[in-house]
Amino acid sequence: MPDSQDPIRATWRQSLQGWLWVAPALLFLAVFVYGPALTNIRFSLFSFSAMSLDWDFVGFENYLRLWNDPRFMTALTNNAAYAAISVTCQVGIALVLAAVLEARIFPDFSANLFRTALFLPSILPVVVVGLVWQLLLTPMTGLIDQILWETGLSSWSKAWLGEPDTAIFAVIFVSQWQWTGYIMALFMVAIRAVPRDLYEAMEIDGASGVQQFWHITVPGVRETILIVTIVTILGSLKVFDIVWVMTAGGPNHASEVLGTMMYRAAFRDDMVGYSSAIATVIFFIALTIGLVQIKLQKDR
Amino acid sequence: MKHLLAVTALATGILASLPGLAQDKTVVSFLHKFPEPENMAYFDAAVAEFEAANPTIDIVMEAVADEPYKDKIRVLMASDQVPDIYFSWSGEFGRKFAREGRTLDLTEALKGPEWQGRFAAASLEPFQFEGKQFGIPVNVDSKYMIYNKAIFEKHGLSVPTTFAEFIALNDALLAAGEVPIAYGNQAPWAATHYIGDLFAKMVPDEVRQADYQLLAPADQLYTHPGYVEALALYKSFGDKGYFNSGANAISHQQARGAFIAGRSAMVYLELVEFYMLADTPVAEQGWGFFPMPPMEGAAGRNDLLTGAPDGFLVSSKTEHPEEALAFLNFITSPEQAAKYVSTTGMTSAVIGSVTEATTTPETLAGLKALEDAAGMALWLDTDMDTASANVILAAGQGLLSGEETPEAVMEKVRAAAKETQAQR
Repeated sequence: MPDSQDPIRATWRQSLQGWLWVAPALLFLAVFVYGPALTNIRFSLFSFSAMSLDWDFVGFENYLRLWNDPRFMTALTNNAAYAAISVTCQVGIALVLAAVLEARIFPDFSANLFRTALFLPSILPVVVVGLVWQLLLTPMTGLIDQILWETGLSSWSKAWLGEPDTAIFAVIFVSQWQWTGYIMALFMVAIRAVPRDLYEAMEIDGASGVQQFWHITVPGVRETILIVTIVTILGSLKVFDIVWVMTAGGPNHASEVLGTMMYRAAFRDDMVGYSSAIATVIFFIALTIGLVQIKLQKDR
Repeated sequence: MKHLLAVTALATGILASLPGLAQDKTVVSFLHKFPEPENMAYFDAAVAEFEAANPTIDIVMEAVADEPYKDKIRVLMASDQVPDIYFSWSGEFGRKFAREGRTLDLTEALKGPEWQGRFAAASLEPFQFEGKQFGIPVNVDSKYMIYNKAIFEKHGLSVPTTFAEFIALNDALLAAGEVPIAYGNQAPWAATHYIGDLFAKMVPDEVRQADYQLLAPADQLYTHPGYVEALALYKSFGDKGYFNSGANAISHQQARGAFIAGRSAMVYLELVEFYMLADTPVAEQGWGFFPMPPMEGAAGRNDLLTGAPDGFLVSSKTEHPEEALAFLNFITSPEQAAKYVSTTGMTSAVIGSVTEATTTPETLAGLKALEDAAGMALWLDTDMDTASANVILAAGQGLLSGEETPEAVMEKVRAAAKETQAQR
């Protein structure tokens, strides 16, 4: 009997085939993503060090400790600042740059030059970027300080990475320098998908460039804006490498973010259970942001 | 089909024989933190020489840099993949391996005739826990204030013999428009070398040892006023401008470079960094060194030098303890130790290995000063318990930036120490 005459069986078969197709991916996710995430949650209920063979069950004590740890608030604030500035620069400024370069204001040669110059930092390894900027920002001998001295702005000179008020912002600045051009490239692709007719029609109606930007470009790339915003916020939440390379969370924990705090707890402070609790908190914040993204996409 | 069977049989035979081939050799894993080219030149040659003399032993060596080593060894410990032989700093860093039963007891092994008289007692002691030897020292290191002779001569200054003279020296350099001390505290271990030395000078030895090892009663831990006074003195160095500006944003290497370039009068360096000053601008101008001078009337010890031996430990789970010990015996033999010193520029814990023939006159003089000292104040961040040390590490930056006060720092140290003590 052909399957087509038995819809229930056909559905089951089709479904089985689908499951078989996704099985390797699901297995991969279970072993390398969900399994470790669940194991991490279990770890967070214990107190143990990397050196120790003994584990003490402490329930939610690690979470209580985290809540009372003043560094946790510092880290959360820094992550929030990282996200806010990144969204402003990497979404706002990158979109404006993309729109300007796509508006054919500049000759092709200049536009290509700007695009390349802005995109180039994103192909550099983060560690290289961190080390180079560390040298540029070195007090007295660094290029930035020397420029300030030479241009009569010596009062602005400071140890950007060595002072608690400026360290995290210096790191965030470097991150924007590296990634704004990359996001700009994504927006340029999105803008090219917007029909040119719309721009031409508005031009005929006498609309200015700014009006075209607000009424055609922004609505036309809103899906990209949403995705890029979510990705940027998630990236800011998970940030570790550039902070670790440039300040290692210092001075005196002033530039600590959740990622460096988690790493420090596990690999410097020998508190693996506590580190797992931090990781769990990061996981749930990321999960919440992910769910918001799904909801927003569905609403659209 | 016959061909297929023959090829299959051949392949199976080869594959089956591979483990057999591997089993012909005893594999001993060896992890250390000396990946620099000059160090690897020595270790590669030593491993090759040992394997040639012991064809049944295969030493699988891996080296990672100083900071990553701290992470890697913890990951290996947590995942129970401890190498047969692994590096450790002395003091609490090594003691915690011993406390958790991750080290082989070497006490009896070191009673063997070949080991007798090889190391000074001062080098062995930091690798002992509860009366047992858990590690073997490989090199010794200590900290000295290096000074630029040309700058000192230019301003008519001389080497201080007391701490008060040292303060006056800094004031004089400052008044002359010089940067007295090049200081890079971006990686905050640099601060612990100053603070550790001041703690040793300003806190009675028995009190300090009881605090560091958390043996004092909980209500007395870190209560001696010398701790706060020492932190206040360290902070005053920053406040008065003895250190270059922006020390928290400069690496130790950059500070050393500033001194080499003649941009500061002094820098606080380790003995194992002496060889890096050869063939530099400061070598042309002339340089000398002195230990941090004694402090008159202080409650602690003035006869200690800040420094420590580094060493190798053997895993308690090693399946090849004899082979591991044979290798350690080989690389700490007087002949190998002499090669180690001459190849790497480092010092060695092996008695008689650092001579005029194997090292520079300055390193030899530095080692002599170390031998003349009554003992060592171990690196603070590897001598205190981890939680208390982490407070001091961050405070080394916070005190300079004005975010912390000495009293608040010691309050945090007491809280961290009490918590760790309660968990033990």
